[in-house]
Amino acid sequence: MTLSTARSPGAPAASSAFPTVWWVLVRSLATRIRLAGLGLLGVAAIVLGLAAHVGHPDSRPDAAWSIIDSYGLSILVPVVALVFASAALGDLAEDGTLVYLWLRPVPRWQLAVAAFAASVTAVVPVAVLPLVVGAAISGGGARLVAGATVGGLLAAVAYSAVFCGLGLRVRRALAWGLAYLLIWEQAVARVSHGAARASLFVHTRSLAASVAGRPPPRNAVAWTTGLIFPLLVTAVALALTTWSLNRGEVA
Amino acid sequence: MTAPTIEVRQLGKWFGSVVALSDLTFDVGPGITALLGPNGAGKSTLFRVMCGLANPSQGTVRIFGEDPRGNPCLTRRIGIVPQQEQLFERQTLTEFVQLAATLHRLPDPAGATRLAIEAVDLDPGDTRPLAAYSKGMRQRAKLAQAVVNDPDLLVLDEPLEGLDPRQRLRSIELFRHLGEQGKTVVVSSHVLDEVERFGSRILVITQGRLVAEGPFTAIRELMDDRPLHLRIGTDRPPRLAAGLLTSGVVIGAKVNEAWVEVETNDAAGFRRSIAAIARDCDARLTEVRALDDDLESVFAYLVGRR
Repeated sequence: MTLSTARSPGAPAASSAFPTVWWVLVRSLATRIRLAGLGLLGVAAIVLGLAAHVGHPDSRPDAAWSIIDSYGLSILVPVVALVFASAALGDLAEDGTLVYLWLRPVPRWQLAVAAFAASVTAVVPVAVLPLVVGAAISGGGARLVAGATVGGLLAAVAYSAVFCGLGLRVRRALAWGLAYLLIWEQAVARVSHGAARASLFVHTRSLAASVAGRPPPRNAVAWTTGLIFPLLVTAVALALTTWSLNRGEVA
Repeated sequence: MTAPTIEVRQLGKWFGSVVALSDLTFDVGPGITALLGPNGAGKSTLFRVMCGLANPSQGTVRIFGEDPRGNPCLTRRIGIVPQQEQLFERQTLTEFVQLAATLHRLPDPAGATRLAIEAVDLDPGDTRPLAAYSKGMRQRAKLAQAVVNDPDLLVLDEPLEGLDPRQRLRSIELFRHLGEQGKTVVVSSHVLDEVERFGSRILVITQGRLVAEGPFTAIRELMDDRPLHLRIGTDRPPRLAAGLLTSGVVIGAKVNEAWVEVETNDAAGFRRSIAAIARDCDARLTEVRALDDDLESVFAYLVGRR
């Protein structure tokens, strides 16, 4: 019995760790139950797009924008990102399997980025794509489709980064994430100008509105701010997740 | 003199007001070391701290002279079998073990995976998902991923749990083989007889404290030396009690209609002389049963004498 051929110090790496971890996490995220449940939310965006399409042609742009703003960026993308991203590391930490990724010579930032990338990989086809298809079907025009694409992608990226870290650090991350979305993003940030400066929803909808050629929504920020702030939040969230993996306790 | 693989100094770990580990100091070198203790003694917590999975509340841990916390490079030399049963359920065995091989950046992950799986008597060609595996097979899958990188330190948390006798024997052979190769193998168990078969040095931990350490034989003697309560079933309880007290092998006796309960400080002497004393007293023995020979009472005794 020998295992001594396994390790060869100084030998070149046979393959990179990042795609391996990413794929493991994508597979663990994409369970049938999650895909079916969240897929229904995505299908709803397409159904709403169809409903807008059968309405009066003059009302289509407004209806299409409502789908993007009041459903896509308010509910669909954030909720789908919450479910996937909080599970990306959170489920592994909870059931103890994180040890099989953590106790390896892999830089912690790679684990954090792989979990984030896996989450985005799941959110885009389940939430962003149906939103874009819904916007296209509605007949609101190419700029609205572009707004849905840019706003949806940016929201998917930023929320995924935030909820990845939340899932790792907090028990019952789904409940806390929903509370954050409902109370902060959809209530406080909508009415308070100051709070809106720190809201991902306000920034992503501002950018989407700008790209779609829609009038600025309430508490809107400039499109540059709408682009930079969510990316900054993404970077900070990933840094905090990496720090947590470095310093925190692994199940 | 070679430096120990594991150096633990004044280690403490607590969760709020619950003390999981308290003032542990010991060294572990190459070969097999068994960590013996009842469930909830702190064995898993100690392993987690040793591997850098949890931070100590006080004291230090050094693995190969380095702090395991925030030190991913050190994990190249460590293999762990964690206690929890959950695996990546949708993966096949080969995918699971090859994941470890790939993340360890082995030059030939597929070859190392095959070797590791064969070393634990599983089939590298098995295409079933891990969710379909029995408890024993899952234990061996965990063992395969732990040895795939040919680690210098192997940390095994209750690795024999769920294995059938033949698999236990094979696993113990593997641990011994790795120990003989100069690897450091630390195995936890709450079963004394299981630990005996490792033929190893033992650390006894209970209630988060190190209560005894040394070779198995010394620990066994220590446990045999403790006061032992026994019930002896007989047809002549008063006569047998008198005989036992007169011989001096017991220090106290309580008589009932059908049995005698005795306390002795000399378990070995009692075992040697009970038959002869019964014969001299013309008493027939129907049972000799230790009333407190379970491991919990042994641990309680060891805690008490500290």
